Amino acid sequence: MVKSLSKRIGNAVILLLAVLVLNFTLIHIAPGDPVEVLAGEMGGATPELLAELRADFGLDQPFHVQLFTYLGNVLQGNLGYSFYYDKPVTELIFDRIGATLLLVITALLFALFVGTALGIASAQKRNSLLSNVVTLLSLAGFSAPVFWIGIMLILLLSVALPIFPIAGMATADEPEGNFAYILDVVWHLVLPALTLASIYLAFYSRLSRASMLEVLESDYIRTARAKGLSRFLVVYKHALRNAVLPVVTFAGLQFAQVISGAVLVETVFAWPGLGTLAFESILRRDSPTLLGILFFSAVLVLVVNIVVDIAYRIIDPRISAK
Amino acid sequence: MIDSSLDNFNTEPMEKPASPARQTWKMFSSNQSAVAGLILLAIVLIFSLVGPLVYQVAPTEMVWMPLTPPLESEYLLGTDYLGRDILAGLINGGRITIAIGASAALLTIVIGVTIGALAGYYGGWVDNLLMRVTEFFQVLPNLLLAMVVVMLFSATLTNIAIAIGIVSWTSTARLTRAEFLRLRSMDYVRAERSIGAKNRRIIWAVILPNAAPPLIVSAALSIGTAILFEAGLAFLGLSDPNNMSWGRMIGDNRPYILDSWWGVTFPGIAIFLTVLAISLVGDGLNDALNPKLRKR
Amino acid sequence: MQAPLLSVRDLEVSFQIGGSDVPVVRDLSFDVEHGETLGIVGESGCGKSMTALAIMGLVPNPPGRISKGSILLEGIDITTASEKDLQALRGNDMSMVFQEPMTSLNPVFTVGEQIAETARAHFGLSRAEARNKAIEILRLVGIPSPEKRVDDYPHQLSGGMRQRVMIAISLVCEPKLLIADEPTTALDVTVQAQIFDLFRELQEKTKTAIILITHDIGVVAEMADRVMVMYAGRNIEKGPAIDFIRAPQHPYTRGLISCIPTLQADPPDEPDALFEIPGVVPSAVELAKPGCAFAPRCPNVIDRCKVEFPPSTQIENNRSVSCWLAQEETV
Ligand SMILES: Nc1ncnc2c1ncn2[C@@H]1O[C@H](COP(=O)(O)OP(=O)(O)O)[C@@H](O)[C@H]1O
Ligand code: SF4
Ligand SMILES: [Mg+2]
Repeated sequence: MVKSLSKRIGNAVILLLAVLVLNFTLIHIAPGDPVEVLAGEMGGATPELLAELRADFGLDQPFHVQLFTYLGNVLQGNLGYSFYYDKPVTELIFDRIGATLLLVITALLFALFVGTALGIASAQKRNSLLSNVVTLLSLAGFSAPVFWIGIMLILLLSVALPIFPIAGMATADEPEGNFAYILDVVWHLVLPALTLASIYLAFYSRLSRASMLEVLESDYIRTARAKGLSRFLVVYKHALRNAVLPVVTFAGLQFAQVISGAVLVETVFAWPGLGTLAFESILRRDSPTLLGILFFSAVLVLVVNIVVDIAYRIIDPRISAK
Repeated sequence: MIDSSLDNFNTEPMEKPASPARQTWKMFSSNQSAVAGLILLAIVLIFSLVGPLVYQVAPTEMVWMPLTPPLESEYLLGTDYLGRDILAGLINGGRITIAIGASAALLTIVIGVTIGALAGYYGGWVDNLLMRVTEFFQVLPNLLLAMVVVMLFSATLTNIAIAIGIVSWTSTARLTRAEFLRLRSMDYVRAERSIGAKNRRIIWAVILPNAAPPLIVSAALSIGTAILFEAGLAFLGLSDPNNMSWGRMIGDNRPYILDSWWGVTFPGIAIFLTVLAISLVGDGLNDALNPKLRKR
Repeated sequence: MQAPLLSVRDLEVSFQIGGSDVPVVRDLSFDVEHGETLGIVGESGCGKSMTALAIMGLVPNPPGRISKGSILLEGIDITTASEKDLQALRGNDMSMVFQEPMTSLNPVFTVGEQIAETARAHFGLSRAEARNKAIEILRLVGIPSPEKRVDDYPHQLSGGMRQRVMIAISLVCEPKLLIADEPTTALDVTVQAQIFDLFRELQEKTKTAIILITHDIGVVAEMADRVMVMYAGRNIEKGPAIDFIRAPQHPYTRGLISCIPTLQADPPDEPDALFEIPGVVPSAVELAKPGCAFAPRCPNVIDRCKVEFPPSTQIENNRSVSCWLAQEETV
């Protein structure tokens, strides 16, 4: 366990270095002067600043020296400077990452739990209304753009029926009483999280349904029934634990996609996370920020993958043995 | 060929053995939702390819009062905040959306199949290296990577299609690799090798045709994914400024949803129906091409 | 005389195959007495497992179901009992050991847990008590250092050990009836012998009645008190194991016995000149045809065999045979 974990961490570090090399290469092969790319067109960088940057990056140096300078900078926590915000990129990212994590984790857990519950319920009765609804929902979830689902939810549940707030993470003039504030954030979170979850909800329900149907046919389920266990124990103890394994695997594999979805959903709901930051940095052509977000997302994905890996090992004892 | 010849023994002697393509069509056409998808897809294609010839309103020009609701003027679906005709946007945007979707999907398949085939066929360090590359692309949120590429290289139709292709191939590669791993030890592949066939021939002319069914399905489905992807980029403002597209319409009109629900609703429905049609056709193809693997 | 523990009457199990109801077990009647061992033999596909599953109330439904007959376990009819009543019986009064030890245990729970939960379900034991019970029963089935093995997962054990665990699960509640469905088919020959020794030893201690399903006549000769031979879903011969080996009556059974050199009075000189019953096992659909299902392979076939199924005929002490030949001899 420890051994394979350290192997995974080593692997993650290599992948992250590769992301940095990719970032660096992109800056250099993009049309235009790398320094201008780094400063951003709308950054309002003065010529002096550009000159300073040029010196910082040693642009007169050979390519590989520049690369090592860049890597060295990143290792010291310097992902670049956003001239638009007039702040280091790392600082910008740390300001926003909390909001993104809140959204992404809420949505993912919601999709996982509700999706799995729906899938398992519909696996019990194969051609029931529920299982048809799940199939329909999953077609819709696969086919509609997530940002459009978000807008439609706003039109329905914020405009036509003003139940939820249209945008943001908290009402601005809310008195910052602790509990009231939390409630306010939760209230703002409902629609974005639901939107982001909608894609995966259908996917997980389909996946867990298929997986559950397969598991229910297996020999050990027959054994469990032959022992005289109740239907509840057979399904929710013996079958469930095996049936969630592929769901857990996919939750890890898909995390990068969930972040992509979060970029769109945050933009729709003006949720103040990394996604809106990415959207804004496109508007402002703020490349250092966008590249920094790309790198940080990779860090997030790798961390989540390691967590999922540990979870999988806890659920399935066979893996640790290998 | 090898497996279909066995089936032919079972057919009546009077009947001509059905060709694989015909058998596939027979299975496909007996699947109601697949046929519905095909019809829907045909409607979408006619709408966006023939539509511009019939309905000649410029999608990027102001033609009427801004924010006119549907059915209140000669512009049936209303106008947006700049007074542009929504229907014209849908008709012309469709062409762009589908063109980008199809070419990005083509690129996805070419990259994915090449990488997957080489990895699966050669195994060893080639496989190791290529799978590392695949893993690398799976770790990066593909939309963010495409955003970076399009922003740095400017939002032209070509760049957008290339960016989508570059970030979307990993699942095709894994699928192809799995198929090649399965097929490379088959008897007919061994036979080819024993008569001294070149690797290149074995990969592209012997194994690939046998791996085709799942790859065809994956190709069909990846058009839908690419369309969604294009829409997402356009929504974020990364679209070719000279061309209308469905995603761009949603992005442009989003700030005005309080005044005009129609500006965002119709293009969304267009994307939804198109991708839905492609998914239905893809699922139908899947059942028709891999009857044994049919899902419960 | 005491009423039999298990009494199966006119059992029919049917499967939905291609839209029609096909019986895979038919007209099956037999008893199992307290503490005895009944061997059920027959070729693969003749309906042995379905018979066993029917007794457990576990015929996979859909596509299968019990379409006729009754199965009385100490007077309770399995075919009409509620799921709740069946749950109370399964694992407690009757239990089953399956053919495939590799897949019959749940991979994500320790073997101890899989034994203990059965005891908890039926005896209402606490976790600690159930765990001790699990260790005790693991020792009983011959697993070395059970205190350690109790926390092992199935993949950490060999096939033979896993089958011992399955036996432990099936015995933990001291059932009156244990059904063992080809318990050693998936195991090495040496392990097979050990498992059968274990069965014998355990039966002596617990006085459990055993239904031992096998396609191996040798095993039956060694283990069973009485034997029932099945062919194509029906019982074709039934009687005490000794008589059955010494003087098989049904042409099919004679063929089977002659396949086993060691059981023959006069083994052939060349050991590999084994008698093989010519022909193939009939499919379930063919079974629905009238007449004796064995007719296409039978060396003694007469015209009558092809149109009418031979009814079960009593011959001497507790033996019965379904064959026109036997019918005519007794008349
Ligand atoms: N799920 C099923 N669907 C249809 N037929 C089945 C199914 N399971 C078993 N059968 C049929 O039932 C018959 C008896 O099977 P089984 O009891 O498993 O045989 P045995 O255990 O004697 O080898 C076989 O002919 C088999 O084809
Ligand atoms: S009834 Fe006829 S066919 Fe069947 S076993 Fe007896 S002799 Fe053979
Ligand atoms: Mg069997």
